Amino acid sequence: MTPFKLQIITPDGVIFDGMTDNVIVRTTVGDKGILAHHEPYVAAITISKFKVRIDGEFRYGAISSGVIKVSKEKTVILAQSCEWADEIDVDRAVHAKQVAEERITEYSKANDHKNLDIAEFKLKRALNRLEIAKLK
Amino acid sequence: MATGNMKDIKRRIKSVSSTRQITKAMELVASSKLRKAKQRSENGRPYFEAQYELLSEIASVKKDFSTIFTEPREIKNRLFIVIAGDRGLAGGFNSNVLKHAVAAHKDDAVKPKIIAIGRKAVDFFEKRGYELVGRYPYFAEKAKTGNCMDIAQIAGDLFAVGEVDEVELFYTAFVSPLVQTPESAKLLPIANIGAGTGDDNGLITYDPSPEAVFDRVVPKFLMSMISCAVVESFASEQGARRTAMENATDNADEMIANLSLVYNRARQEKITNEITEIVSGANALS
Repeated sequence: MTPFKLQIITPDGVIFDGMTDNVIVRTTVGDKGILAHHEPYVAAITISKFKVRIDGEFRYGAISSGVIKVSKEKTVILAQSCEWADEIDVDRAVHAKQVAEERITEYSKANDHKNLDIAEFKLKRALNRLEIAKLK
Repeated sequence: MATGNMKDIKRRIKSVSSTRQITKAMELVASSKLRKAKQRSENGRPYFEAQYELLSEIASVKKDFSTIFTEPREIKNRLFIVIAGDRGLAGGFNSNVLKHAVAAHKDDAVKPKIIAIGRKAVDFFEKRGYELVGRYPYFAEKAKTGNCMDIAQIAGDLFAVGEVDEVELFYTAFVSPLVQTPESAKLLPIANIGAGTGDDNGLITYDPSPEAVFDRVVPKFLMSMISCAVVESFASEQGARRTAMENATDNADEMIANLSLVYNRARQEKITNEITEIVSGANALS
């Protein structure tokens, strides 16, 4: 298939900058596959798994909220954080999961909705990472 | 003269050189931290630029485009996000940025709400009775972008519910390792987003809508602004500290040189005196 240019950029640096022929991400309105010559397109990405085909093989990664932008010359994924499956720090994710679960019980007792939302968000991220770490 | 005096001078030389050792060490630490901080700020730049480009493209799609984040309103309450250091001994670094923030609201009827980043900023505003809506001491050195998200969330929420009508960021720009200037930037409402550059403007499909994507991007944009400013301020702090400590080391060197001169002169004088005494004693005997 026709290859196209993909960049994955996070605040901590550029994670990927190279050619691919297929990208699949989960946007707020559903899964979306991008091939070459896609129309210009912008959508928000949720906490999810994404797939990129490089040299005929899919590579998996974890993404926590971001935006995908497809334009004529390249496709850009802007992510708050993003790791390839084999780069996920499992210990950290397990720890984050425990902390988030403790917080959720604590905040739901205290009826603190704002902090509860944040804790749930963190739990989702940890679970997402743990699930994807199994795919490597 | 002066055995007592000589002892004093010797003691002073000793104390100055131990101070010099400390300032020299701090200078070295600051320059290695500075190098790391510069690396970090370079890593974050592509994200920030891509983010800005995206926002400006969305904003230029429609003329009648407006969301809660772009609409200007009457300014009653302001929120300042002030970034200072955790430690002193960095020349004017802390006081410059804090003074800058204080000067910026001297004509306002009400004191602004504050989100303070860095222990010096927290202490400063707490002592002066400001309302702090966020305290982040010992934050900058290990700041992950995720932590900046918390700050962006607080600022965005306060703005969205109308508790504040303007959000301004105070930080120290890193001009060069020798020059750092306190700066401020308006975060919200988002104004002056320039027209996009791409030629496919207006043809882009936004899923589900430009406004929805825009509102999703805004908190991320705030976050990356804040995180850029935090990293840059940290680099500035290290730069300022390195310069201050370099000066201190130079001063100590100069002081040691002067004191050694005085000490040697006193020592020589003492020897001359002794010789004179011995010679005159011998003369008297013969």
